[in-house]
Amino acid sequence: MQNNKNDENNFEILNQFRPERTEILKALHSLQNANPQHYISSDAMKAVAKYFNITLGQVYGIVTYYSMFSTKPRGKYIIRLCKSPVCYMKGSFNLKNYLEEHLQLTASTENISADGLFTIETTECLGHCEQAPAMMVNNTIYSNLTREKIDEILHALKTNNYEL
Amino acid sequence: MSEYVTIQINDKPIVAKKGDNLLKVARENGFEIPGLCYHPRLSPTGACRLCVVKIAGVQGLVMSCTVQVTDGMNVIAFDEELERNRRHTLAYLLAEHNEEYDATYVDEFKPLIEKYQLLNTKERPIQSFWQNIPRVIDDTSPVLTYDSSKCIRCFRCIKACEELQGKGVLSFADRGIQKYIVAGLANWGDSECDGCGECIQLCPTGAIVEKPNREVIDVNKIQRKVITSCPYCGVGCQIEVWVQDNKIVRINGVEDVSPNYGRLCVKGRFGYQYANHKERLTQPLVRKNGKLVPTTWEEALTIVAQKFAEIKQKYGNKALAGYSSAKCSNEDNYIFQKFIRIAFGNNNVDYCTRLCHASTVAAMIRSLGDGAGSNSIEDFETTDCLIVIGNNIIETHPVTATFIKRGKQKGQKIIVIDPKWTPLVKYADIFLQPRLATDVALLNGMMYVIIKNDLINKSFIEQRIEGGWETFKQLEKVVMKYTPDIVEKITGVPEKLFSEAAIMYATAPTAMIATGMGMSQQTVGTNNVFALLNMCLITGQIGRERCGVNPPRGQNNVQGATDVGASPIMYPGYIPVTNEEIRKKVADIWQVPFEQLDPNPGLTTLEIMDAAHERKVKAMYIMGENPVVTDPNQLHTIEALQNLEFLIVQDIFMTETAAYAHVVLPATSLFEKDGTVVNSDRRVLRLRKAIVSDKNIWPDWKIIVEIANRMSINIGNYNNEEEIWNEIRQVAPIMSGISYERIDKQGIQWPCWHEQHPGTSTLYTEKFNTLTGKAKIYPVEYQEQSEKPSVEFPLVMNSGRILYQYHSATMTRKSEVLNTFANESYVLIHPEDAQKYNISNHAKVKVVSPRGELTTKAIISDEVLPGEVFMPWHFHEAPVNALTRNEKDPISKIAPFKYSVVRIELV
Ligand code: SF4
Ligand code: SF4
Ligand code: FES
Ligand code: FES
Repeated sequence: MQNNKNDENNFEILNQFRPERTEILKALHSLQNANPQHYISSDAMKAVAKYFNITLGQVYGIVTYYSMFSTKPRGKYIIRLCKSPVCYMKGSFNLKNYLEEHLQLTASTENISADGLFTIETTECLGHCEQAPAMMVNNTIYSNLTREKIDEILHALKTNNYEL
Repeated sequence: MSEYVTIQINDKPIVAKKGDNLLKVARENGFEIPGLCYHPRLSPTGACRLCVVKIAGVQGLVMSCTVQVTDGMNVIAFDEELERNRRHTLAYLLAEHNEEYDATYVDEFKPLIEKYQLLNTKERPIQSFWQNIPRVIDDTSPVLTYDSSKCIRCFRCIKACEELQGKGVLSFADRGIQKYIVAGLANWGDSECDGCGECIQLCPTGAIVEKPNREVIDVNKIQRKVITSCPYCGVGCQIEVWVQDNKIVRINGVEDVSPNYGRLCVKGRFGYQYANHKERLTQPLVRKNGKLVPTTWEEALTIVAQKFAEIKQKYGNKALAGYSSAKCSNEDNYIFQKFIRIAFGNNNVDYCTRLCHASTVAAMIRSLGDGAGSNSIEDFETTDCLIVIGNNIIETHPVTATFIKRGKQKGQKIIVIDPKWTPLVKYADIFLQPRLATDVALLNGMMYVIIKNDLINKSFIEQRIEGGWETFKQLEKVVMKYTPDIVEKITGVPEKLFSEAAIMYATAPTAMIATGMGMSQQTVGTNNVFALLNMCLITGQIGRERCGVNPPRGQNNVQGATDVGASPIMYPGYIPVTNEEIRKKVADIWQVPFEQLDPNPGLTTLEIMDAAHERKVKAMYIMGENPVVTDPNQLHTIEALQNLEFLIVQDIFMTETAAYAHVVLPATSLFEKDGTVVNSDRRVLRLRKAIVSDKNIWPDWKIIVEIANRMSINIGNYNNEEEIWNEIRQVAPIMSGISYERIDKQGIQWPCWHEQHPGTSTLYTEKFNTLTGKAKIYPVEYQEQSEKPSVEFPLVMNSGRILYQYHSATMTRKSEVLNTFANESYVLIHPEDAQKYNISNHAKVKVVSPRGELTTKAIISDEVLPGEVFMPWHFHEAPVNALTRNEKDPISKIAPFKYSVVRIELV
């Protein structure tokens, strides 16, 4: 009943969309982007269910179906390393190990690095096969990756607190 | 008329309905094609791939569950290749599947594994890998547990919840092989799931299993599965009761039988614990030295017989009265009213119908000639437009509501009219929220719009309404005073909304109305329904299929009890007691002198209580009712009962009312009864004994007969319920054609005049049941309430029911499941009022009316309007009827349960 602050924010975002089913994905994107921890909270899912007059389960189904959504808080920077065949053969698997070691973090949507900055995930082809291996950090794609290049990127992200 | 086609399956010619599902047709004709995701009540999914067949002219293997039969189709259902393919598919499903089995459910997987010789793990082409798939178990629901390791992702539960129950609570989470079922945000107990159990009944592999009784049930030890009717509401769902060690251990919906077609609600499926409850009355009790003490039947019956005779002699016929019961069978009620009319020699027999739809029935009988619903339950799905007014149908008639939600999925227009938000609003096209007790103004206002827009049905008015155009003109004179601005002022509903609703209703090709307690339980209850009927009549939205007015009945046999004569004004079959000819006919059948039957109408429910209060009625016989909790103005009721010289209460539990009795008699519960009931759409349905009661517990009708015998009064002697029913058929012509044999599988809707008559699905298609055969219009004016909010009592209280409890909750509160869902009284109060009276959410509060007070919990909610509050009345510790008043509707004598002024204070 009594809306809390979070709820107000959620509905403010939702009000930008027509309450029709075709808008749900877009609305979820906006909610996730507006969250500092890059995820869709239970409150947000409840707001979506109410706004679009659908059930919680239906919202949850959509959110978990798409790998770009998360129901758990994530790091500020989400590193999505491509695991599709071309990148894989060009060594993305080793790079994953390297990243995990470097950040002391197992790749999983649910894990966040100790400093709260990073989450490592894997993803399907990013469309940059000719410059494999590739990864995406939030919305920016990096290709022709090597260990050195990764060091550089991580360093930049950590020190500049890079706005992406 | 359906078209038929001929197909061939493995060279066998088969005639089938065009468009029928191929897998279904094959199975019905003896071809046991395997298949786990298909269910005849659901749309086909094609997920498990087990039902593959070959069809001539179609390349490759086809899933038969996704195919509709067409003429000349040539099918191969079984050959070596198909069987090999199926075995392989099965082996794959099996590898993903956890095979542990605890015999608490019927597994559809197991027989297939045997049939395809995959029992031996070594012989399987694919080895088990389910252990490597993340396993999700959700045990948070009070009624079920989900285990993803047994889930074959067949979609049946999702579709059961969505397509059958219209709730859509379930969905798949995650993707690929890790896919699993979720309710809500992966927490069943916290989701919108209301525990109907449809998904449990349809899960083929035990991934969703029932929680209650899991420790006791063993499907191999079930003694019997008995089909009977649900003991709760007036939908009359057909249930299959599983009995183990003479205890009910499970209830399922009976597939493919009307009225519920397998569907149930949470009460019907899980509300059975009361039957085997340790608090059941198992011995007659008599009051000795002020205390109720156990005694023998002989002593109890003798005392009752003597006392009745004594009081009748001392004070005359009129000093005795009885409350019959909407929870008892037709046979019980028929014998009860026969006993009152013969043994007491008056017509003082009534029951709780007076407290629920008496005003509806009063208006409908005057205007249409019958007091029952005009349509069938199925029509709730197929009508084009439905008005639900003053009826929280999703909670009070959950299975009727499933038809509405299915209608919605096909584009039905829904208009909800209610002072309080109800869950149906989520499905509604228009929601009108008038202030309490302003219905006549609203409906007159809607008629104003209809007339202004020339949307009346002129030919209907001329041909089917008494007085035709003249009468209409009289109505017009009245309703044209209800201009939109006046109506908006009285009701608080914006003109735009009620105009839209009026036009939507009037212009729909077919339209139905469901009306409920919100309309009837007011001092203007009868007028409310007259207004509703007027709107229905001038638009001609009645007298055709899928058109009409329906009052879904609250109790399982509210309809039947009146049908068989538990009424102070009607004999069985709606024949007025004042009709001499009929009394002669009945006297003949009953073999009593005609003069012995009282020609004067008897007292109604509340009149009986008033007469007891005034010490005019000295003795009362109450069968299966609990007026201390259910009648208005509790203090008055208790005083009345205390003023009686003699009270007998016949019930299954020691109730709040039984506490005032001189004799208490233990009666059988519905699960221990044979007989019949009548549901809301006039369907006569069978009751069958599922469990054997303690030998000291007797059927209601038998107790009554034994009392009569001891009074040396002959009300007949019967060997069984069927003999009673056959007598009812003689007395009440509307039931003539309905025999036990004919309703063995499917109920029949009265009127049913003879054994070849199919029953009547829609009333009034040719004529109305009034003397002239035409319907009558009774113009009515809006009246202000005599009780008005004041400085002392500034709020108006509405009362009603919730899904999980039932009436005075004697039965439902014995169920752990139902109590887990809801077991606490509360009062809903609008945020503005909460602020005004400084009440915080969940605060303990006192609700005070001019009649009494109670303590409960406040819940702040905008489901109610400012100035109005709402309370469920199930909880005896917060007895809402301590607050209500016994002022009566002048025509039907119903009390205004929906309107009491109160104030709310913090405790
Ligand atoms: S119990 Fe009923 S409401 Fe709950 S998930 Fe199953 S089908 Fe849906
Ligand atoms: S809808 Fe009514 S009759 Fe059907 S199961 Fe529920 S309570 Fe029983
Ligand atoms: S395979 Fe990695 S970007 Fe295409
Ligand atoms: S029954 Fe046809 S695919 Fe499952």
